[in-house]
Amino acid sequence: MQHPPRLQIELLAEPFEPLRRLEQWQQQCRHANPTASAAEAFFIGRVRGQAGDGHPLSALELEHYPGMTERQLERLGSACGQRHGVHHGLVLHRIGRVLPGEAIVLVAIAADRRGPAQRCCQELLEALKHEAPFWKREWRADGSAQWITGNTPW
Amino acid sequence: MTGADSATIRVRLFAGLREAAGWSEQEWPIDRAHSPEAVWHQLQLAGNLQTVRVAVNHAFAAADHPLQPGDELAFLPPISGG
Repeated sequence: MQHPPRLQIELLAEPFEPLRRLEQWQQQCRHANPTASAAEAFFIGRVRGQAGDGHPLSALELEHYPGMTERQLERLGSACGQRHGVHHGLVLHRIGRVLPGEAIVLVAIAADRRGPAQRCCQELLEALKHEAPFWKREWRADGSAQWITGNTPW
Repeated sequence: MTGADSATIRVRLFAGLREAAGWSEQEWPIDRAHSPEAVWHQLQLAGNLQTVRVAVNHAFAAADHPLQPGDELAFLPPISGG
């Protein structure tokens, strides 16, 4: 019998510092239960400096579907967390204009063991890339822009 | 439900679909909105419904999902999150 994981999910319109947010989340996990989670897995994704066609990128624009995106992230995180029996999950995702080098996504999972933590982190990241309504538009240095259809290679 | 809500659904478009169509949302009469697929063809949106995901009331739905007055129907172009 697996209990639902405690999830924290946020869409952020401003830049965030992933390590600072991770530290706050770890403190909350420890506060909830100081010894329950012996394994943690993290993923931090940043905006690269080139567009898909190799041209210099000046910014990524992130559009979402207010209401559905949050709800879908909750569904995905809850299902993935229960499947792997993890304790805590954190998902932070930028919206709006994001610059090269800035963090765009942070996924963190705390569990009893490394297997569930790493598998859940990887699965949840892939799930949100394909199943949460976000759309990226690349703004190139020459001022042109293009919506991206699909995801970058794994 | 009463009033305008009882007679229509709300249709929403996002990203490239929205820009190609030139609008982001509009009301559509429920008596014509038999299914998301029917609305897609009535609106004469650019592209192929096979490449578009359908959502009804903030949850993914099939193209033949029955629609009710007051529903929010969204057509979602290919997702690129993370």
